[in-house]
Amino acid sequence: MTDKPVLTLRDLSIEFPTPTGVVQAVKNLDLTIQKGRRVGFIGESGSGKTTTALAVMQMLAEPGRIAGGTIDLAGIDVLSLTEEEMRQTRLSRIAYIPQGAMNSLNPVMRIEPQMWDGIIAHEGNMDRAELKRRSDEALISVGLPVHTADLYPHELSGGMKQRVCIAMGIILNPDLIIADEPTSALDVVTQRQVMQTLKDIQKKIGSGLILIGHDMGLMAQSVDELAVLKDGELVEHGTVQQILEAPKHPYTKDLISSVPLVGGDSFLNPDRAAAAPARDSKEPLLRFENVRKNYGAVTALHPMSFTLQGDTPQIISIVGQSGSGKSTMGSIMLGFNPPSEGRVLFEGQDIQAMSQGQSLEFRKNVQAVFQDPYACFNPFYRVNHALKFPFKKFGLAESEAHTQRAMEDACAAVGLDPDLVLQRYPHQLSGGQRQRLIVARALMLSPKLLIADEPVSMVDASLRASILANIYDLKDKYGISILYITHDLATAYHVSDYVMVLFKGHVVEAGPPKEVIGAPQHPYTQLLIDSIPWPDLHRSWGDGRQDWDPAKKEAEAAKAGAVYRGDVQGFDLAKAATLG
Amino acid sequence: MTSQDNVPLTRAQIRQAKRIKRFDNPWMNPKLIWGAGLLLGIIFLGIIGRFIWDLDLVFTGSSPLKLPPLGFENLRGQSGVIDHPIGTDGGGRDLLALIIVGAPNTLFVGLLASFIGMSIGIFLGFSAGFLGGRTDDVIRVGADVMITIPPLLILVVFQSAFGDVTLTMMALLIAGFVWQSPTRLIRAQVLSMKQSGYVQMAQLSGASTGHIMFREMMPNLVPYLFGSFIASVTTSIVTAVGLEVLGLGPQRIPTLGRTIYEAINAGALIQNLWWWWGIPTLLLAVIFIGLLLINLGLDEVSNPRLRKLS
Repeated sequence: MTDKPVLTLRDLSIEFPTPTGVVQAVKNLDLTIQKGRRVGFIGESGSGKTTTALAVMQMLAEPGRIAGGTIDLAGIDVLSLTEEEMRQTRLSRIAYIPQGAMNSLNPVMRIEPQMWDGIIAHEGNMDRAELKRRSDEALISVGLPVHTADLYPHELSGGMKQRVCIAMGIILNPDLIIADEPTSALDVVTQRQVMQTLKDIQKKIGSGLILIGHDMGLMAQSVDELAVLKDGELVEHGTVQQILEAPKHPYTKDLISSVPLVGGDSFLNPDRAAAAPARDSKEPLLRFENVRKNYGAVTALHPMSFTLQGDTPQIISIVGQSGSGKSTMGSIMLGFNPPSEGRVLFEGQDIQAMSQGQSLEFRKNVQAVFQDPYACFNPFYRVNHALKFPFKKFGLAESEAHTQRAMEDACAAVGLDPDLVLQRYPHQLSGGQRQRLIVARALMLSPKLLIADEPVSMVDASLRASILANIYDLKDKYGISILYITHDLATAYHVSDYVMVLFKGHVVEAGPPKEVIGAPQHPYTQLLIDSIPWPDLHRSWGDGRQDWDPAKKEAEAAKAGAVYRGDVQGFDLAKAATLG
Repeated sequence: MTSQDNVPLTRAQIRQAKRIKRFDNPWMNPKLIWGAGLLLGIIFLGIIGRFIWDLDLVFTGSSPLKLPPLGFENLRGQSGVIDHPIGTDGGGRDLLALIIVGAPNTLFVGLLASFIGMSIGIFLGFSAGFLGGRTDDVIRVGADVMITIPPLLILVVFQSAFGDVTLTMMALLIAGFVWQSPTRLIRAQVLSMKQSGYVQMAQLSGASTGHIMFREMMPNLVPYLFGSFIASVTTSIVTAVGLEVLGLGPQRIPTLGRTIYEAINAGALIQNLWWWWGIPTLLLAVIFIGLLLINLGLDEVSNPRLRKLS
C-alpha cells in the first residue's frame, strides 16, 4: 500500500438535524491525501473542518451523522467498520492531536502511564521494560527529556503538554495524523517550536498529516497542500504555492489578505486625522509614576514610568508574550488592580484615591475592549443592554429616542446592521459581531482613552483586519487615544504610533514601530519577529533549522539592556538605567 | 453551518425534531412538570378540601373510632362509611380532615423555613463573595462550623425546652440550619462571576455595587437559587417531620408528622390500623417525590450537559 493514498474522501456529506431543519455541515467533499503529504484545512469556525476530521475518526458528536459518501483510509472503508474495529483503528492508524492539550491530559496521572494506555489498549499487555522503551523513544522523538515521563501534566508548560500529546499520537506509527489547531493556545515562540516538532516527526514516520487551522500564515509555513473550506464546501484545493500565488476563490483571497505583514501594505487608510477632544485639564491624560506590581514573590511589572499627554490622539502598543506583564498593565490602568508601588494618575488624579464623582468621570473617559467577546455580554440581557446602560449612566442620553439613535449610529459606524443585532441575545451573535458591538459601545461613550487588551485574538482571522480598522477609526475619526495591548507584532506595526516591547515585566525595546518592529535590535524583539508565521513561502520558518534556538535568544535577551529607538511627540517613557 | 435545505423529513425525523424542540426550551422538562404537578396537587387538596369537607372533624371525638377506609373492614368487623371515606383514627378524628389541614401545614413549614434560610444564604453569600477579606473569612468559617452540627440534636433540645411551639416558630428554628449550603454555593458562584467579562464591563460602565449584584449577577443565578431552594425545602420537611414523629412538633395543630406520631403511640401497627399511619406516610412520599423530580428537572435546566435527546 505504499503508493495508495492515505485518505480518500468521496462525496462526503455530514448533516446535523436541528429543530429548524437539517443543517449540512459538510457538503459533497472530495479530497485525497497522499502518503507523507501535509494538508491544511483552513476556514472560519463553523466551516466544517473539524467536523470532517471527526467523521474520519467516526467520532461525530450527536446528533451529527454522515449522510452520504465514503471515507477510505489506506484501503479500509471506515464507514463499514464495527465499533470494535473502529476502536482498534483509532490511534493505531489515525491519530488525533486535540486543540487544548492542557485539557486532554489526565491531571491525576503521570505522563508515562497515560502513554502506555494507548499501547496496551491496542497491542495487549507487555512488560514494563518494553513499554518504557517505547514511551521514552516517543518522548525523545518530540524533543522532550526522558524524565518528563515521571511528571504530572500540571508540572509541564503549555508547549510541553502539546508535545506530549503529539508523542502519544505517534506512539503507534499511524498512517494519518490529524492535528486540530494544535497551537492555537500557545505563544508565537512556542508555536514555532511545536510546529517544527510536528513536521519533523511526520517526516520521520512518513504519515499523512491534516492540519486544521484558520491562520493563513501558519498554514503557508507548515503544509504542502491547502484545502479551503467555507460553509461546509471545499472552495479551493491545491498546493500552497498555487493557492498563495494565484488564489482563485474570492474567499481565499480574503484569507490571504487578512494576514497583516510587517513592512507590507497597510490595511488601513491613515489619511484622515481628527483632533483630540478638547480637554479642560492641563494635566497629562495618563501618567504612570514608578508603577510596580507584585503577585506574591513574583514581580509581574517592574517599576515603570511614562506620560501620555493625550493632546493629539495616539495609539501606543504594548507588545509581549503571555506572562510579560502586558495585561497586568492594562488592568492597572483601568483601576481593577491596584499597583503594589507607585501611582497611576489620570488627569492628575490618583485613580486609586478617587471620590465617587471623580470615579464616574474616570470611568466615562477610560473605556476598554477586552479579549474575550463571548464573556463580555451578560447572557441574561439582549445585547443593547451593554450599550444602553453606560450611555444613560454617564448622563449622555437626552431621551429614549436619542439613545436609540446613538446606538444605531455606533453600530453603523462599525459596520453592523443595527436592526439585525441590537435586539438579539449574545449567544445569537458571532464572536466578531460581539467584538464589534464592544467597539461600538466604546464609540458611543467617546472616552478620551481606550484600552484594547488583545481585542482580536479570539475572533476569526478573516475578521481581524476589519475590526482593527474599526478600532483605528476611533483614533482617526473620533480622536480617542488608544493603548493597544497585543502579542501580535504585525498588527502593532500597522496601527501604532509608538511600540513598547515587554519582556518579563521590563520594557526591552521602545520607539516608533517602523524602527522597533521593522528593524529590531533587541534579541527578544528579534525572537518574537522570527516566530511570526506569515504567508511567505521563501521564509525558512519551520524547516527544522537547528540554529534557531529560542532558549539561547531568551538568555541573551535577559542580559541585554533596553533599547530606545526615538521618541514621538506626546508620549514620554522614562528610560530605565539598566535591567535588574 | 449556516445553510439549510428544506428536504422533506421522514416521520422519524419529525419526531426527533419535536424532541429537539422540547430540548430547546429547557423549562419544558417532563421531570419538572411532573414534580410541580404533584406539589400543586397537595396544595389543591388543601384549598378545595377546605370548601367541601367539614374541618371540625379534626377534633378528638368528633367521629367514631378506628373506622377503616371505604371498602375495607377493621379487626372489629366494621366496614368503612361514606362519611369518613379514608377512615378515622383512634382518637375519633376523621383522617381526610386531618390530611386536608395537615399536608399543607407540613409543606408550609418546609417552604417558610427554606425561604428564610435562602434569604439569609443569599445575603451572606453575596456579602462574602463580594466584600471578601475579613467578612468572607467570618462567614465562610461560620457556615462551615454550622454544617458540622447535627440539626436534629439541637432542635430536639430546643423543642423540648419550649414545650408547645407554633408552625412559624418551628420554621424559624429549622431555618437556622438550612442557610449554610446556599451561602457556600452563592459565594462560590459570585466569586467566579466577579471575574467574568460582563461584570467587568458593568464596572467600566460605572455600575454601582448594588446594580452589579442584583441586575447583572442575580438573573444568572436564578437556576442555582431555585435548585438550592428546593433542596432546602426537602431538608426542612425531613427535619420537621422527624421532630413531629418524635412528638416534639406543635401539639395542637394537625400535621402529617404528628398524625404518624399518634398512630405509633396508640399502637396502630399491632392493631393493624394501617390507614392511620399509612395515608400520611403516602402523602409525605408524594411530597418528597415531587420535590425530588423538581430538583432533578432543575438540574437539567441549569446544567445542559445532563440533558439528553431521549
